[in-house]
Amino acid sequence: MMRDEGGSVRFYCTAGAGMEAFLLDEVKRKLNATEVEHIPGRVFFCCHSNLHDMMQLKSAERLFLLLRKAPPTSLPTNPGKAASVIQQRIVGNPDVWSGALSTWSSLQAELNGSGGRGQKRKREEEEESLNRPTFRVSCRCSGTIARSYNSQNLNRIIGMAINRQLGWKADLRDPTVNVYLSDDHCVVGIPLLRQPLASRTYLKHTGLRSTIAWAMASLCNLQEASVVLDPMCGVGTILLEAVQECPNGVFIGMDSDEVQLHKAVENVQAAGQEERILLIQTSCTAMPLPAASVDAVVCDVPFGRKFSCSDDMTTALPHILAEMERVLREGGILVLLLSLQLSALIKKLIKSDTLDLQSHAAGCDEDAHTSETDAGSRETGKLKFAFNSLILQSKHRVSLGSTDALIHTYTKRHTTCDAQL
Amino acid sequence: MKLLTHNMLTSHVKGVTKGYPLLIKATEVKVNEVEFNPQFVSRMIPKLEWSALIHAAEGLGYLQDLPSTLVSNYENDEDFLRKVHRVLLEVEVIEGTLQCPESGREFPISRGVPNMLLNEDES
Repeated sequence: MMRDEGGSVRFYCTAGAGMEAFLLDEVKRKLNATEVEHIPGRVFFCCHSNLHDMMQLKSAERLFLLLRKAPPTSLPTNPGKAASVIQQRIVGNPDVWSGALSTWSSLQAELNGSGGRGQKRKREEEEESLNRPTFRVSCRCSGTIARSYNSQNLNRIIGMAINRQLGWKADLRDPTVNVYLSDDHCVVGIPLLRQPLASRTYLKHTGLRSTIAWAMASLCNLQEASVVLDPMCGVGTILLEAVQECPNGVFIGMDSDEVQLHKAVENVQAAGQEERILLIQTSCTAMPLPAASVDAVVCDVPFGRKFSCSDDMTTALPHILAEMERVLREGGILVLLLSLQLSALIKKLIKSDTLDLQSHAAGCDEDAHTSETDAGSRETGKLKFAFNSLILQSKHRVSLGSTDALIHTYTKRHTTCDAQL
Repeated sequence: MKLLTHNMLTSHVKGVTKGYPLLIKATEVKVNEVEFNPQFVSRMIPKLEWSALIHAAEGLGYLQDLPSTLVSNYENDEDFLRKVHRVLLEVEVIEGTLQCPESGREFPISRGVPNMLLNEDES
């Protein structure tokens, strides 16, 4: 059975590449989850939380009820034989499935708000569906299995296997049984929500992927009354994620582009956060803020396009970084999302970055990219930016879909007495 | 633009050393009801330039007899915190300008958003 003695249920969430570490941390912190473990792209956990609390997860893509986590299985190429292998190895114990189905139904009822007379019919329908369950299959596969079978065929074969083993009727109705098969893993689950957790109802205009924006905000170490600056805020995605984590902070968004800024105004209004998010039209190379005035600077540094009519980002970055360092207070935190190329450039700009730091992200292979640009060394030689006060804390490699990027986190060092003299 | 924003803004025109506080010239001011959060206000007060806030509030006609120097033990003074809340978060300059006290450079405020962009020769 999926419920253990304490009544907790096994769940899993899917996560974008590189987001697993954030999600592991988030389920432990927000849901007091136990038995937390992960494979690439999926985080498994047990918890007693209600669905509403789970819907507050910000670093996950989708939420599932776990049916089965089995060792990888190789399938015979004969579809009939494959169906019986799936029946035994992947579908397995029918009790587990009926237990999961009743948990799923009660969670759906919780989601739709149960109770009241009008719900009686609904409950009868639910009982009906528990007696004669219907389902459909959605399969994703990779590796050896993917070479012998396409998803459509596998959907059919798995559907057959479930039908034979459990007597459930394949239909185009809920619940959807999601099956993930790779050379290393076999995971079966039922999605709990129609909408992905990652799609935010409070955003009118979307910018950066919301899960990554949240991850960046979570690295800012936000406290009550923290002042947080995004000097290139665009439509305000990062600040809107940050303000939910820390409702009693002050969030300053700057952008030089009026069109972006007005979309940010609309986003802030739609989210009802006008009191906490302050927007200013300005360039990030000349910020109208005093030195040491903010507790955190967080920024998705744009790349792949010109920074202004005269400069590209590789030329502008040292100037922007100098402004960020100036406005940041001592002990403050700087969180930057950088392309692989800009990450390599900043590594040359910031001395502490060259320290052999144990990277948080799996497969965070920095050296493979250092040869991409020599603009950094030219710049540093010419402009003598030192950035001695910025100390690298961590790097997380994350996927933006078509490309990867790195989240760099720095703290601004407290100036020593001799430096002041 | 809220006076909280104004309290943090400084002129960044090249060569200016005393660019703070910016002088507000408002042509349209609005007061929005904002939920009062006494903890937030008392946590923000130590971070403010008090005299700049008082000056700005006075200029816009929303001083509400706030003292020119900050009193101590304000944490439990709800009446005081409500007044600070009003000037900090509820009073909003929709249209007008901000003027650099040293260079005289004016920055427009349009639809509530201050435009602090400089020309290339100013930065």
